Amino acid sequence: MKRLLPLLILAAASILSAQAPIQVTLRIPGGDRRVTITQAGGQILFAADEVIAALGGTVTPDGTGFKATLNNSLAAFGPDSRFGVIRDELIEMPAPPVVVDGRPYVPWQFFQGFLGKTADMDVAWDPAARVLTIRPAQHTIIGVQLSVANVQGISKVVVGLTASTDYTILKDKGAYTIRFKTPIRAPFAEQSYDDPYVSKATFAGSDLRLDLKAVDVGADAYKLENPFRIVLDFHKVAPGPTTLPAFTTPLRPVEAPGIHTIVIDPGHGGKEVGAIGPDGLMEKDATLSLCRRLADNLENKLKTRVILTRTDDSLVPLDQRTAIANQYHADLFLSVHMNAAVVKGAHGSETYFLSLEASDELARKAAELENAAAKPAPAESGDLKLILWDLAQQSYLNESSRFAQAVQEEMNRATHVQNRGVKQAPFKVLIGATMPAALVEVAFITNPDEEAKLKSEDFQKTVIDALTTAVGRYKTDYETRIGVIRAPVTTTSEAKRSGT
Amino acid sequence: MRRAVVAALVIVAASCRRQQPLTRNLNVENKVAMRTVSLYYESPDLLLAPERRDLPLPENPAGALDLVLRELLKGSANAAVPRLLPGDTVVRAAYLLPDGTAFVDLGGPTLTQGWATGSHQELMAIYSVVQTVTSNFPEAKRVRVLVNGEPAETLGGHVSLSRALAPMPSVVAR
Repeated sequence: MKRLLPLLILAAASILSAQAPIQVTLRIPGGDRRVTITQAGGQILFAADEVIAALGGTVTPDGTGFKATLNNSLAAFGPDSRFGVIRDELIEMPAPPVVVDGRPYVPWQFFQGFLGKTADMDVAWDPAARVLTIRPAQHTIIGVQLSVANVQGISKVVVGLTASTDYTILKDKGAYTIRFKTPIRAPFAEQSYDDPYVSKATFAGSDLRLDLKAVDVGADAYKLENPFRIVLDFHKVAPGPTTLPAFTTPLRPVEAPGIHTIVIDPGHGGKEVGAIGPDGLMEKDATLSLCRRLADNLENKLKTRVILTRTDDSLVPLDQRTAIANQYHADLFLSVHMNAAVVKGAHGSETYFLSLEASDELARKAAELENAAAKPAPAESGDLKLILWDLAQQSYLNESSRFAQAVQEEMNRATHVQNRGVKQAPFKVLIGATMPAALVEVAFITNPDEEAKLKSEDFQKTVIDALTTAVGRYKTDYETRIGVIRAPVTTTSEAKRSGT
Repeated sequence: MRRAVVAALVIVAASCRRQQPLTRNLNVENKVAMRTVSLYYESPDLLLAPERRDLPLPENPAGALDLVLRELLKGSANAAVPRLLPGDTVVRAAYLLPDGTAFVDLGGPTLTQGWATGSHQELMAIYSVVQTVTSNFPEAKRVRVLVNGEPAETLGGHVSLSRALAPMPSVVAR
């Protein structure tokens, strides 16, 4: 017994000093097994490699993030973002993944997003029983409603659904088909429309077929949340030997280099009101009304696709705003804000691009170096954008600085408010944008004179025209530099001639 | 014999929990002396400018950090110079890590509920803290701001607090 004593003491000491990894049950069609978990910020996170390996896949490091591969499907995720990505789609998680000893741990919603979208699996976590269940999806039938309306030369087909579902859009000659991945309850079998572009809609199985009146009609498709809707904007497309792919992703119809999709971000929203003027004007309202009109103006004048990060008084988290831009593969991101200062008399406009460096002197030096190399923004590579993570914007600082410069110059030219210049700051909404991005502070809402200006129709129009000209100018400049042969749509001089 | 094993286990468990005291001589290490510090407030040209103030401070920087920040939050001696952080902001804690990162934990009703402000004011408020810390404590190279002891995304929807912030010369008067 005496000889046992040191052994017992050693065993007790090892129990007290080292904690065994915590494991829970993973229930999959092949049977139960144990997987390691960890806890961070009140969330339970699962070892991604163990779960994916149990299903026959792999998880490997990739840059600052990780790649999960299963049955030829690929998902990317990283420790700085609560959004993972599969091709064009985002996987939203309640908290970002964490890395412990080189191993990535993710919330269970990652598996739900990845396996739900690519393998038609249902994932559920039972915290009481400590069981993570992954099984083939049990489909519920989703109700569908359809509306077709022609507004300003565009036929808008809105497919409203009672729950979100995955789908693909297939293009035939003279028809578009939406193929839902879950069973649907159709509102009718067939219906004809008195519409310039859409002739009839037919439901068959899990397909919705939209027949068109002409072959030179194309569509931009996108989806909206809360409630879940799929929207197709049908319009005339330029005639010519354009070979449209047989399979189009729902998010991006155009893959040519250049500036085609612009995301405009009206600052704040919902309970985050932003700054408040002495007369009560709220930043969230001023930015929304300005941005809605800016979006229309950009679409009309530059013929680009414009997406707003919010179209009503709703609260959109900052990381989701850049995630929306990344999701739509936007080519440009502009966040619009109204400024505030406690110093009396502060006035003027200023434009920011991101600074992540220790000092903006360093960042400026980096931007200058990039300028010297005259390198355009990095092109998309491969079939998946893996750089969704924090610091993604760093690769675009040179272009963001040019874009911010164009915005500030046009604001100065048009508005005659004090030029406070182009600056850099570590603004959250710009981090993670995988495209040139800037944030404009139109005027000081805390200054009574500028608050009054912000309310005036004339000033709003001037600002909208200045920002449209700035985007047009940057677009022309960028497309010229990368050698896209394209007639300039709007230039500063043209804009000046036309009185904008 | 069984009793001896139990006793041995208790001793092992107790020795695992015993902690070394941080210092044996508090009076020497926390000696207080008058020091002139620079507190940063916004000047009329919308940049941060230092205001000198004499304070009795412990010589140990970790102890002095918290006191300097509390002094900053009292506001300028000149009543015409406005406060940058909301008036109800408190410094809950401040500490300095050996790698040069100072942690400043702020709290108060406004910051807890969400501060309605614009970019410029938020930049000034955060960098008044960063500038005050890094200019008075050469050991501090950057500042990580927390709210109520937790990492926060921003104070008012603009400046990212997810990383430690280094001083930004462009917001400081030359």
